[in-house]
This record gives sequence, C-alpha cells and structure tokens, in this order.
Amino acid sequence: MKNREIPKGLRDLLPEEVAVHRDMQQKAARLFTSYGYREVVTPTFEFLEVVESGTGGDIRKDLFLFMDREGGILCLRPEMTVSIARLAATHMHDLDFPQRLYYMCNVFRHVQPQRAQYREFWQLGIELLGASGVWADAEVITIAAKTLKELGLRDFKISLNQIAIFNSLLQESGLNEEDQSQIRHLVERKDLVELSRRLERMDLNDEVKESIALMPVLHGGLEILNRIPYAEHNRQASEAIQELDRIYEALKICGVIDHIVIDLGVLRGLDYYTGVVFEGYSPDLGYGLLGGGRYDNLMGHFGLDRPATGFALGLDRLALVVGQRQELPRRFLVGGKNFAAVVAEADRLRQQGCIVEMDVEGCSKEQLQCKLQGRSEYHLIYLEEEPEVNQCGQ
Amino acid sequence: MASDFLTIALSKGNLLKPTVKMLSLVGLPVEGVDEDSRNMVFTFAEPAVKYIMCRPTDVPTYVEQGAADLGIVGKDVIEEQSKDVFELADLGYGYCRFVVAGPQELQGTPLKGLNYKRAATKFPNVAERFFRSQGLQVEIIKLHGNIELAPIMGLSDIIVDIVSTGRTLRENNLVELFNIMESTTRLICNRVSYRTKHKQIQPLVELMQNTVRSGRMS
Repeated sequence: MKNREIPKGLRDLLPEEVAVHRDMQQKAARLFTSYGYREVVTPTFEFLEVVESGTGGDIRKDLFLFMDREGGILCLRPEMTVSIARLAATHMHDLDFPQRLYYMCNVFRHVQPQRAQYREFWQLGIELLGASGVWADAEVITIAAKTLKELGLRDFKISLNQIAIFNSLLQESGLNEEDQSQIRHLVERKDLVELSRRLERMDLNDEVKESIALMPVLHGGLEILNRIPYAEHNRQASEAIQELDRIYEALKICGVIDHIVIDLGVLRGLDYYTGVVFEGYSPDLGYGLLGGGRYDNLMGHFGLDRPATGFALGLDRLALVVGQRQELPRRFLVGGKNFAAVVAEADRLRQQGCIVEMDVEGCSKEQLQCKLQGRSEYHLIYLEEEPEVNQCGQ
Repeated sequence: MASDFLTIALSKGNLLKPTVKMLSLVGLPVEGVDEDSRNMVFTFAEPAVKYIMCRPTDVPTYVEQGAADLGIVGKDVIEEQSKDVFELADLGYGYCRFVVAGPQELQGTPLKGLNYKRAATKFPNVAERFFRSQGLQVEIIKLHGNIELAPIMGLSDIIVDIVSTGRTLRENNLVELFNIMESTTRLICNRVSYRTKHKQIQPLVELMQNTVRSGRMS
C-alpha cells in the first residue's frame, strides 16, 4: 500500500522521541541564550546559487533540487551556516558586530540512508559573526563542549585543528590545484595507503612530503605540534600553530580542556572553513556528533565582509547516544459523571502546573481504574457528584 | 564499541590465514582463531581485543557503522563499496587485479571499441566508475558468481572481474583486455574509533607497516 509509505531516509517522530528532542533543544537553547545568542529561522529552501556560492562546488550531489515556476533552481537547505551568513549579510549589515545567532532547524541531504544518517535531520548550532581572534574561537568551542555536557554526554572528545597548517603546506608544495585537492581529500579520508603512494610519485622535497604524511596521524596534546618538520620555515604555518597553542590555553581557562585533543587530520569537508576547525565524537557512536570552525570569507560572498565562527550539532545522532528519558512526568486523569465538575477540577489542577487529562468517554470509576493498571505515572481522580439536569451528556 | 576492547573484523576465506599470521607477528593473541571453529567472536583479555568473523563484503559495513573499530579486508571490496572508513595501512598480501576481459576476438581492441558493449560483473560500481571515467557508455549486468559464463552464453560481451593468476580466464578462453586497478589487503578503521582509541590503534598501525616493510609476511 503506497499510501502507507514515506520517502526513503525520512522518519516519523513519535511522542517519546519528540520528548527527547525537545528536551535537548530546550537545554541547548538555555545554554546558547545564557551566552547572549539569539535564535533565527531561515527559509526551508534557498536558491541553488546561494548554497553553492557558500559551500563550494562539490555539494550538489547531496542536494534535493527542484524548480519554481519562475525558472529558479531551488534546493532544500543542506545545512544552516550558509543561510545564516546570507541572512546576516542582507539584514544585519547596519548593526553592531559581533552578532551572536543560534538555530534549531531541519536540514536535508540526499545521502544513502542508514543508522545515524537520514535524509532529513535536525541540527542546532551557533554562529558568532563579526569576531576574529582566539577568544572568539574559544567561546564557540567552549559552548560546543558545554552543550554536549549539558545534553548528558560524559565521555566525549573534541578534535581541534587549524587548517592553515595544512593549506600553507600544500601551497608551499607547489603542486597544481588538482593534485592539491586530491591530497586534501586523501588526508581527510585518512586513506594513508593511497596518500603515501601519491606522495612517492610526486616531485616534492622530503621535508614537505614527510609533513604531509604526518598530518592525518598526528593526534594528541599540544606536543604533537612540535613534530611537523617543515613548520619552522613557513611563517603562515608557524602562525597557525601559535594560534592553536593560544586556543588550547584559552580552553584551559574556559574549563573544557579535558575534552580537547589536537588532530591535524581534521579538515572538515566544506570549502568555506579558513582557520580553526573542530569535530566532536562520543565513543558510543561510530559517527561524528558535531562540527564547526572559522569561516572568515563566507559572509563576504554575500556582500558583507566579516570574520565568523560557529558549530552545528546533529540532534538525531545525539539522541541515539543520549537515549530515552527514563521517567515519565506525573499526570492526572480526572473522571466523573458531572462534566462541569470534571472541567472545573481539571482546570484547577492545570493552574497549579499539573498535566491533566479528562476522561472524555464517560467511563465509570472501575473502568478507569482498569485502564490505568500498570501505568504508575497516572493519578486517578474520580468525582462522585451527580450531573445536574439539562447538562450536556455523553 | 563503548568498551575498551579493540574490535577487529576479519575477512573469512583466503585472507584469513595470512591475516592471522599478521596479527601474531604484531603480537596480538590468535590462539584458536580459525574459521572452522563455530565461534564468530573471539575475545581475549590481554591485550583486550575481540575478533569478529565476517564475510569479506560485510567487513566495511561493520567498520563504518562502528560495530568494529578496525577491519582487515581487500581493497577490491573497499573500492566496490565506497564506505566512509579510514584506510590506514596496506598489508601487502592477497594481491589481485580488477580487469576488463573478453573473448579472444576482442584482443587488441582499443578502449573506445568497448563503447555500447555489455559487461557482466560482480563489481558494478567499480565497473561503472571505470567506464565512465574513460568516457564510455557500457551496460553493466550485475551477477553474483561465475562471471566467465556470461560471455560464453552470450549474456554479455565482456566482463569486469578480479584475477590473481589469470588461470580462470584462460580456462574459459577469455583474455585480459584492460587493467583497471590492483588490490591488496588493507587495514581499515572507523572514523570515530580512530580518535577515541587512538592510543591503541596508532601503535598497531605502525607495527603492521613495519612488519610489511620487513618482508616477514612473505
């Protein structure tokens, strides 16, 4: 029966699942708000030009595309950062920066659906617009860590990198653009086998080769930054390393350093990142939970040149780790023969902040007791009053 | 996956014997690890490692989804499935090649001579990607075994298959026309495990690389 199917990769969320989602959203919203972030909502679909000018060319195969009757090519938003950069550049150009914005939205990607990978999924995240520098990055990374903590994760890690280390290395290599993008792809996918083969065949000096080969495997504390041979001679790379150093120190002050590791293989797939990037993981799930970083050129694409940084977190994936909320909230069931009395009692309890259901089927006390058997979250109130004459009955 | 155990998915079949040898050479326990055993999971306490026995084609799935941290499987399987896993080391053994093969009449045909032909294969993704990258339109016919039969029975004009010595091709009067790529056994890793269990995984990767370099596997 086709009329019982839903499109591939989409989900219905039932009350228990929605409760988990809402609970996480509320906690995150409270946290974001306490740091001064304000919520925005952007359209569910955008022009393809907007999305592509932000994310770079490679994303089209993951987009849901369709046309409007005016001949525009539309796409369901695959993520929020580009839309928010567009929103801020068009509507906030005369405001003072930095601006702090957050969102909780569904996004759409045409991926092969499987566990932890859906075609429609929920993201929440923040964008700190118009602020450059270590303190801004530290704020965003701290909020990322605190969000995971607030949502009930204990054993998570956030991997940090500064992509200028890798990019400057590639620039210095003198490779053509095609080779550069392939190397980048291999480092990102940690395809160490193909990477070492490519490097062997390439005409590069040994120091650069060795450094590139090390990128995907360097992982740990600050000490690993001393292990990149070429960085001493490259000003851009050594600046990037110093920046990472300073962020690490700042994160100590912010109290989240226990969750931070340095991982020079984290490059993030999207082209718009320009500086510090990071990803969050839990050992309980084989997929990443959050990702973000600095994207200083993105807003410029939309006509307002401002530095920016932010992160996004996948709510559906997090729900897999955090699991169901155990306790159901207490609730009342009010029944009785006198409808007016039932309504009055239910309203009285609701005013006290209780969750109150009314028996709308006119059941007897025994019937209601029978229904509630084994459902300990319910408390039954049965009003024995007889109905008055002329009252509307069942 | 939440445990401290390092879980490694092993490919049953041809690769198992050399894989067990590799594991023992890098100092991991292998006592009783054997596909004839009825066990599908082998657990060792010291060091804390768990092996799971899988069909080769299932290994990337176990690793991608995090049911195993590491996997040992042929590049041919990885290439066909394009799963999102890290490929950490080339273990060198289990050599084979993806080739385009066909009846002897086709020997010497230029690549463009394959345009609009029909190719039978167990590896539709590899085949499709290869022909496309050469700008060719080739109809792919997915079969599950005995690919050599397809051209004999007129089901296809050519085949895309893996060969190691080429004997099966010769026995069926087929000749190799084009080489697509070479394949050996690889160590693959889950994206998250690589970060959360880096301290266990990275030394193992280096040990395996050194073992391959030292030639002790051959």
